[in-house]
Amino acid sequence: MSLRLTSLPSTGFASAAAAAAARPSAAEVRSQRNAVFSREQARQRALYPRIEKIEVSMQGPGLDGTLLVMNRGMSTPLSCARHLTEYHVNNSVLALVDGEPWPLHQPLTDSCSMTLLTFKDSDPTLANQAYWRSCAALLGQVLQTAFKDDYNVELLSTPEVPVTSGAFCCDVALDPQLDSWTPSEESLRSLTKGAQQLIHKDLPWEPLEVAPSVGAGGLLTQQVALRSSDRLLVCFFSLQYKQEEVEEKAAQHPKGRVTLYRCGDHVLLSAGPLVARTGLCSQYEVTALHSLGQGPWGLHRRAQGLSLPLQLQAHHTVWRKLRQRAEKLSRKVCVPLSAPPCRTQQKRVYKSSDAWAGASSQAGCRRRGSMSPVCLQLALKTRPPTLQTDASTPL
Amino acid sequence: MRLTLRALISHGRVARKMGLGPESRINMLRNILTGLVRHERIETTMARADEVRFYAEKLIDYAKRGDTDEKAMKMASFWLTEKDLVPKLFSVLAPRFETQSNGYTRMARLPNRENLDRAKMAVLEYKGNPFPPLYPVKKDNELTLINQLLRGYREDRAQQLATKA
Repeated sequence: MSLRLTSLPSTGFASAAAAAAARPSAAEVRSQRNAVFSREQARQRALYPRIEKIEVSMQGPGLDGTLLVMNRGMSTPLSCARHLTEYHVNNSVLALVDGEPWPLHQPLTDSCSMTLLTFKDSDPTLANQAYWRSCAALLGQVLQTAFKDDYNVELLSTPEVPVTSGAFCCDVALDPQLDSWTPSEESLRSLTKGAQQLIHKDLPWEPLEVAPSVGAGGLLTQQVALRSSDRLLVCFFSLQYKQEEVEEKAAQHPKGRVTLYRCGDHVLLSAGPLVARTGLCSQYEVTALHSLGQGPWGLHRRAQGLSLPLQLQAHHTVWRKLRQRAEKLSRKVCVPLSAPPCRTQQKRVYKSSDAWAGASSQAGCRRRGSMSPVCLQLALKTRPPTLQTDASTPL
Repeated sequence: MRLTLRALISHGRVARKMGLGPESRINMLRNILTGLVRHERIETTMARADEVRFYAEKLIDYAKRGDTDEKAMKMASFWLTEKDLVPKLFSVLAPRFETQSNGYTRMARLPNRENLDRAKMAVLEYKGNPFPPLYPVKKDNELTLINQLLRGYREDRAQQLATKA
């Protein structure tokens, strides 16, 4: 662990050695992030102490002319759906508030017109994108909790892939001890199982919009971040690249804010809106874990998966074909064909995902499995992730 | 008026016996057909609907000849007991089915009648009418998630085949 930290650029860190010494365990970090998220959420809710009414006019088939009187800063699109029918509650993926995509759990702040989006709309592109993003987020969450506590897992910024590419992906840098580990069929299956457990729990993705000022400046140690917690976003950006990501995303946002999401006890940063809850997924499978080669954070790996929502399930023959396609390294961002097998110790400079543009080398990536000294039983936890989540104590 | 096995062995008598005799049958069918042309969708017993269907299709075939045709005008004025429907037949229905050569009508079963006779009921309609569809329309959306995935898959396959060839 300390080895990895010393290789970090030292800017932005008070002192790398001290940080390494005081580095808390994964469960601690998670509970801290969780506590900060809860506190910020409570603070934002307290901004509306008096109940004020807003008018929400619903759009959509059979709903035109429906006017709902809701509470400012308290009612969410989901509570609007609850005033309609069970169909709207169960099938809504995302809301469109005044033409802007709006997470289903985000409180409404002004009178607006609203459309509830489903997977079976005439144009479900927005819902599909949000679903793909959410599945990638879920994959990240599974990867974060699937390994034993001794192994450090860093989620890298998730590449945004279109639905037609066939698989959603999630970039991750595993512990240096796991560099020689190649995932087997069973390990992928156990990751799938972890995801299925999360889906079964039907957890909501709670959004929280925060100002990134603190996120950019306030990493240092967790203690500092916690103390200035009123505005802050978070101890969770303990790494340099997260900072950059935050700044980048804040720059893209018109108001210069970023949106954090919490699912269970996992807090993440997302490029766009996520869907309402994990229970919308039905078929879900982690299909591959490719190596992308050495990057600034150690060996980069890309986990890929395939998922379909409850409303659009595939027959098993169709699913098998789609699954086979999803095993290939994603086309948009992959390693050049001329490169030697990805796990060689070559030092290469990766700036963005475009650096990998070119033909895929999936064959090379998958055939290397024979000589992995670290097997799954060693790397993955034997107990289910549920126990892991219970172990984290809130601050 | 369907060529079934039963019709084949019926020695040429393919029409049902209805009403009080052949003339009464024709008059009844005229009235039903007039109603069909006026409303474009009617509900009647299954036997009558099945019987009228043949004449309804035949009438369109005649109407397609145009209102200057003598035979067509004769048939129209015979089968439509209400004469204000003659222009509708020539100027609305005939142009609607210009592209088709047959199959202008659609018939669907209804639940049996609730009164004492429990007769089989049916709906008969001219296609292309403004009413809501009899059967649910199959929605085919290329943009749904699974169709998008399958589109990507097909494109992939096409590319693979192209590189192989």
